[in-house]
Amino acid sequence: MENRTQRILLTLLLLVSGGTTLAAERMLPLIPPDVKPEPVDESLIDTENFEFTAFAGLLSIEDFESSVLYGGRLTYHLSEDLFIEGSYGMAEGGKTSFEKLALAELISDSDRDYTYYSANVGWNVFPGEAFIGRRYAVNTNFYLTAGVGSTDFAGDSRFTVNFGAGFQALMFDFMALHFNVREHMFDIDVVGEKKTSINTEVSLGVSVFF
Amino acid sequence: MRNWIASLGLALITMVLACPGMAEDQDLARVQVREPFLEWRSGPGRGYPVIHVSERGDWVELGIRKTQWLKLRDSKGREGWAHIDDVLLTHDATGNRVAFNEPRWDDMDSRRWELGLQYGQLDSTASNSVNGVYWMTDHLAVELSATQVLGALSETRLYNFNLTHQAFPTWRVAPFFTLGGGRVDVKPKATLVRYNNRSDDSVHAGVGVRIYVTDRYFVRMDLKDYKIFTDRASNEEVTEWKIGLSVFF
Repeated sequence: MENRTQRILLTLLLLVSGGTTLAAERMLPLIPPDVKPEPVDESLIDTENFEFTAFAGLLSIEDFESSVLYGGRLTYHLSEDLFIEGSYGMAEGGKTSFEKLALAELISDSDRDYTYYSANVGWNVFPGEAFIGRRYAVNTNFYLTAGVGSTDFAGDSRFTVNFGAGFQALMFDFMALHFNVREHMFDIDVVGEKKTSINTEVSLGVSVFF
Repeated sequence: MRNWIASLGLALITMVLACPGMAEDQDLARVQVREPFLEWRSGPGRGYPVIHVSERGDWVELGIRKTQWLKLRDSKGREGWAHIDDVLLTHDATGNRVAFNEPRWDDMDSRRWELGLQYGQLDSTASNSVNGVYWMTDHLAVELSATQVLGALSETRLYNFNLTHQAFPTWRVAPFFTLGGGRVDVKPKATLVRYNNRSDDSVHAGVGVRIYVTDRYFVRMDLKDYKIFTDRASNEEVTEWKIGLSVFF
């Protein structure tokens, strides 16, 4: 008797459990979606650590007047704080006051072409935000730069040290505006005694990230 | 004139529209927050303010990456930036953690290329140089470098090819040996008209050390001894030291 009751209960249990699995099978969609979840890896992400800047401005060349300066800069951002950059600029020296008064020429016209390259390290000191009206905010950076390079002027390449500061406004994720002030220092002996020539660059630039 | 301005404007608009930073039709990289919260900042840096916080379970879309920061966008169109360390704690649609392969100093397989800038002195005269390195194995690399030495009497340019061997690739301070050869071009100063430009072959041997700083950059120091084969009575021997910053990829 006991056995029979047990058998009936077990059969019932089996039926019930079998029923639920059948029900679960019926819950599945008739057409399973043909979408496989894709893993996310770095190949999906576009990294934009390089920045190319075209700039134009003024360069005050010691003893040789001021000149329009233009050039390009390639920056690699190492981290949010540090970046390295290679910079190239072109300007043209004018005449010294001696040349104007004595109507003489110290250097030939082709030697007045002023070109420089420099390799610099930059440090983003103060990141921040600037607000344009009530609706728009742009990210900004105040940074310091320093580096070494070479200046081609008055017939020779001269070892040049430069340092300066800049302000960057990131208008879009891929584009920024730059304002820079830099000092370029090198030794020169064209106008008499050997001395350190200090040349100030002030420039505005537009950059693209890639 | 007006036509010209119009065509310039059109060209500018096409350029902006074609810019890769604006492209929206990439494969979506969507991730789900699994930590209690995820902070969004207004820009790619810790100095920018926190503007939004995603809760556990929220889905966000990953955009471009700048240095260690990733751009985020949510279903409501909000945008912000999160640090890579926080993004690596999120899960993707497969339910696994987001897997980004970051180049690591102690894993040579993840990094093969190096690019460096150095300042130094060749025979007590200031020099600037740039170098590119490719690691063929964990221990052996090929290098190309160009150096400009700007002296009071002459300008010297060195172009070198060398092999570099390091015995301990995973050390944070890793010494190396280097051996190579190249070309030496000497151009005397414009005021010294007596001398002509010279170009000679050279070989060199050197030692150095690479000191890992953080992220993907390190300091590199070199000490090299050059033998320059001149066509004069005797060969020249000069010593060079350099120090600089390098990046690995």
